[in-house]
Amino acid sequence: MTMTQINLDALSHLQAINKKLVAGYHICEQDTLMWQELDQQIEAYSALFTALGHDLKHDSRGFYYFASDESTPNMGKISRAIALTIYILIEHFANTGKDPMRALFDEPNDLELMQTLVQLNKHLFDQLEIFSGSDLRKDVYLRMVRLGLAREVENGFMLQAPIHRYIDALMEVNEETFLGEDEQ
Amino acid sequence: MIPAKKRLNTLNEHWEVLALLFKRFKMVDFSIKDLQNAIKQKQPTWNNERIYKETNRLLNQEIIIPLAKSSQLEINRDIADFATFLLQEEHLGLAQEISVLVDDLARLGNRLSNAGEIEDFDDLRRFSRIMDDRVRKIIKLFLHNENAILNIVEQAKSNNAIQSLQKRYKAVIEAFDEYIEPMLEMVDIRGDFHACFTLIEQQISTQIEHIERSGKAYSDKRMLEQLRTRILEMHLIGRESLRKSADMLMPLREELRRNNLITRQAAKVLSLIRKNGVDNMLSAVQPHFVSDAQKYSLGQQRHIVAYMASLAEFEHHEYQLPEQDDVPAFVTPNIPDYQDVKAQFAKRFKKQRKKPQPLLQFLDESYPELEADEMLFLYQKLVSDNTLHISQSDKKARINIAGQHFSLYPFNSEPQADKAEHE
Repeated sequence: MTMTQINLDALSHLQAINKKLVAGYHICEQDTLMWQELDQQIEAYSALFTALGHDLKHDSRGFYYFASDESTPNMGKISRAIALTIYILIEHFANTGKDPMRALFDEPNDLELMQTLVQLNKHLFDQLEIFSGSDLRKDVYLRMVRLGLAREVENGFMLQAPIHRYIDALMEVNEETFLGEDEQ
Repeated sequence: MIPAKKRLNTLNEHWEVLALLFKRFKMVDFSIKDLQNAIKQKQPTWNNERIYKETNRLLNQEIIIPLAKSSQLEINRDIADFATFLLQEEHLGLAQEISVLVDDLARLGNRLSNAGEIEDFDDLRRFSRIMDDRVRKIIKLFLHNENAILNIVEQAKSNNAIQSLQKRYKAVIEAFDEYIEPMLEMVDIRGDFHACFTLIEQQISTQIEHIERSGKAYSDKRMLEQLRTRILEMHLIGRESLRKSADMLMPLREELRRNNLITRQAAKVLSLIRKNGVDNMLSAVQPHFVSDAQKYSLGQQRHIVAYMASLAEFEHHEYQLPEQDDVPAFVTPNIPDYQDVKAQFAKRFKKQRKKPQPLLQFLDESYPELEADEMLFLYQKLVSDNTLHISQSDKKARINIAGQHFSLYPFNSEPQADKAEHE
């Protein structure tokens, strides 16, 4: 990409976009204004962010984010909690005879569902210090909203396109990705 | 004989009931009670007497007929076919239906060819008509099946996550296995279908030629030509229809495959997590997020505790001295002794020179085997030696020595006149 000049005046949402992206937020189609501007000015934004040392990624499934190859310990923990929740959701939907991928994005996740998930997988959520549906809401769902992975709706939360990152990660897990105690 | 108009009127009046029966019972039989219930459901204001009368009307006009040796009823097949057409409620047929018709077509093609050979034109006409009929049927089946697949696809797509995954896709998988795949195999360019049509086309063409040559039964020529065109058209329609059907089903099948894969993987991963723990299993693959705010803040108390804990375990890397063998042996620079150079310089510039001579050129000519840096070393020694008579040029010059380019204000030897005086 050769970009001789970036017209900053044309990037009217630069400040908002930057603020969101540096905080780990994923901008997707639901964020209409920022999404449209990124979509239209992608060359300028890409060049600008690259020069600032960021790696702006556009995922064709409909979201933009700053790629990173490591997380702070806290972020890492959050990310694992999100991953676990998503995988449990998939299993739960499949067990209840639903099309998991469709239900994942089409069904609002309400508190009742969260309680069910925690009850059914107590052993797993205990490891993440999540003991109740409202813990799950606070520690996972609200954080997903802050990262742009979900949005809050009237009766719960709807998951959004960036969840695909977790599904990609799911497909990568196998015996070799297991880290023994000594490697931690 | 029941007048058509009368039946149509009844059909019109009871269409709702028939549609309901058709949807509810598809092609299976039902009792007279079911029929009456259906009427009651659609016409709740009617009394029993009226319902009884209307039931009889449907039976008398043979719209609903009793099954042989049974008290059960069914919709008259012809009416059911019509309803199928009207409701677009088409059910996917089997690939075999088509392949049977195609086999029949091949058999008829042989008979037609035989009839042509013995010049039995009545038979020729008869077989041609039957073949024409078969071809129409095949085309109808193709279109019918295409519609049926469209229905399957729409059903699978509609109505969200409430319907079970299994049910939603069962029809899709069946359509693929029972119809699309065998059919695609058949219409493949190397498949039976194609071979059969090539043969029939040849047979018909031979007959047409024969008629043209003999001049007999010339009126049949046009009929045969039409048949040939229709067969060709059927082939095209078939391929087109199958392609469309496969295009409609393919994304669903892919979706299903992927869904199955994801579901299975989720179950597998969760079981691994149950066995090995969340952090051990997911740390290597979890998606990462940038979090500048966190990177530059001190963090919570437990982060600091964790940080201190890792400090307690901190160890310096032990410094390792290089081994004796690792150190490269010292190579003496290959610079000639400076006194020699100076002597050489003095000797060279003893002779009368009108013009100042560039120092570097002298070095380059006298010591062609030297490296550029070695040459520069001598150059700076000569320059800073105040027993020699040299002066710096005030013009910048580009000089090439030992394959390297330099740009500098070069020192030159001073004209000899001065030099002689000093010596």
